Amino acid sequence: MNRYLHYLYVSLLALAGSLAHADDSSYPVTNPFLATIVGTPPQLAAPVPPETEVRQTDLAVTVLPERHLPPALSRYHDLHYRLAWHNEPAPLIFLIAGTGSGYSSPRLDYLKRVFWQAGMHVIILSSPTNHDFIAAASRSGLPGLGLSDARDLHTAMSMAVEHARDKKNLQITEYRLAGFSLGALNAAFVAHLDQSLRQFNFTRTLLLNPPVDLYASIRRLDALARTQLDGVSSGDSFYEHIFQKLARYFAESGGTDIEGGLFYGIQSSDSALTDAEMAMLIGAVFRFAAADLNFMADLVTEGGRYAPAGEKLKVSTSLTPYLRRALFCDFSCYLETQLWPVWNNANDGKSIDDMAWDTSLYSIAGFLRDNPNIAALTNADDFILTADNYRFITETFGERALLYPHGGHGGNLQHRDVVATMLHFMEGDAQ
Amino acid sequence: MTKLPMTRLLAGCVLLTSIAAQGAEGIPEYHDPLADLTIDTEGSNYQFERSSLEALKVHDPIEGFNRRVYRFNGQFDDYVYLPVVNAYETVTPRFVRRGVSNVFANLADVPNLANSLAQGKFQKGGRTTARLLFNSTLGVLGLFDVAKAMGLPQESEDFGQTLGFYGVPTGPYLVLPLLGPSTLRDATGKAVDWSIEDAAAFLDNRHYMNDNPWAYGLYAINLRYINGFRYGSLDSPFEYDQIRYLYIKLRELQIQQ
Repeated sequence: MNRYLHYLYVSLLALAGSLAHADDSSYPVTNPFLATIVGTPPQLAAPVPPETEVRQTDLAVTVLPERHLPPALSRYHDLHYRLAWHNEPAPLIFLIAGTGSGYSSPRLDYLKRVFWQAGMHVIILSSPTNHDFIAAASRSGLPGLGLSDARDLHTAMSMAVEHARDKKNLQITEYRLAGFSLGALNAAFVAHLDQSLRQFNFTRTLLLNPPVDLYASIRRLDALARTQLDGVSSGDSFYEHIFQKLARYFAESGGTDIEGGLFYGIQSSDSALTDAEMAMLIGAVFRFAAADLNFMADLVTEGGRYAPAGEKLKVSTSLTPYLRRALFCDFSCYLETQLWPVWNNANDGKSIDDMAWDTSLYSIAGFLRDNPNIAALTNADDFILTADNYRFITETFGERALLYPHGGHGGNLQHRDVVATMLHFMEGDAQ
Repeated sequence: MTKLPMTRLLAGCVLLTSIAAQGAEGIPEYHDPLADLTIDTEGSNYQFERSSLEALKVHDPIEGFNRRVYRFNGQFDDYVYLPVVNAYETVTPRFVRRGVSNVFANLADVPNLANSLAQGKFQKGGRTTARLLFNSTLGVLGLFDVAKAMGLPQESEDFGQTLGFYGVPTGPYLVLPLLGPSTLRDATGKAVDWSIEDAAAFLDNRHYMNDNPWAYGLYAINLRYINGFRYGSLDSPFEYDQIRYLYIKLRELQIQQ
């Protein structure tokens, strides 16, 4: 009965809220590429405490003591993670970063403050595909497989939590889990693995903008970097083209501030970037992440594709020639040249489609469907999803699919309604 | 936990506007952003590769030395500079830190003004003069950034920009100990700016700072405090390469406008 009243109360509250702000409070950026780049306008973002007020520190733990790295990359020997904590007993939430993002990415720092403010300890871990995680915590050195990434993460999480407990006297009442983008897929697989291991017994797992079929999403990201641009001839540099637009904008507006609010200003001027240019910009960012991944995986497995095997990379060694080569290999190329041959050796007679299936949410659909403590939050215009992927999320998660019409890939995650939804799921009554 | 979707559903049913935006059962309808783009499926255009290779062509003849200094700066940041800055943040109230930043920014207005005038940017020069006057007379020694409150943002113009404005090429890329990314031209400019500050002896500041050597320490701490850049923040084994390109481009932008 109580619960029913609570429903009613919350419903009426939400109703009142939406009636009052029917037009001005929903996420306003309807262009998915722009949304992904600019995020949420500050006036619509859920307020969080400033970084300086959060009780937090960066720590490092040795996960693979036997791993040898050359001097140029020696700072990645230990796995670094970020911890925000309370002095009282509290639930601990792990946050897993997305493709090519580390534990210090601004998006996760925001989520950290949201959950810290709500009274949770927070540990942020780099994506298993990020160069630092590959070097410090990936046993195979070849991330991109659902189960083996989950095992690496589960180990790293156990060690980080023991380490943090030891250093800061954490008192942990229960464990929760969330991830963004590829980190969300990782979170689903970690939760699935932990169901067998029974170590953390996560009370909540939240998937933020997850891919469904990782390899399908990868192909879509790769495609972004091959967007055809109007007005850029085959001899021109795309970056020069963007910088020229910026320069024109600065010359016209007389502004000098190359930072906050920049993009909103440009997009309402004559120098606004086109959809194709924004898509290309996003694609380029992911291609640089792919270059990092290709280079680091190859280095750790001593493949010799980029840095010659056996070459000692000193602090003073120029890595530029290796970057030049790695830039030619996108995510699909990584799958084909590095991941598939090794997987194929271990799985005789299976196809690359089998490998894709094993690393998709399809392979753990039953677990996701029947588990009331797992939710997925995404947008109808998230460009990493195909129509089938999107339908899978709506059907599998049912009422636990938290869906928004706009926001692109994570652009609306700071919006106050979205943050309220996240916290509501995280803190709601256990099922 | 089923509460929220339920409320959203309810709200969706009542509000005609949201019904219009949503498909059946309140589920927003899928939209494929890639459908509106022209994608080069052959991959024969090489726009990304060509542009990125071009961006890696930066004149960097002493790269080995630069990379060592870059690593040193990062470690100095980790072990010395940032702990000191963090301690500074912990022990001094925000308004004091803002005051300190404003005092040094005010002193830097002198070379700003000189450089604006040297580049014939009189309107900008005019604004900088106004800033200087407002801040020095209204705010006590610029301790409160009155000009900012009045909507006159600080126009940062340094001698490196002036040189660039008159067509002096950047010269080789340099990573300066403690100060970070620079070029031969910008490093020269920095030295000139400091001597302008020296020569102008605005408000007799050099005399004061020489009598109170801790002021230089505060100057150094403030320099790091106001600079948001953190080594490692680009989160890539190729950070050096990316910073090198971004530094050159951002300076170009500053000079062009």
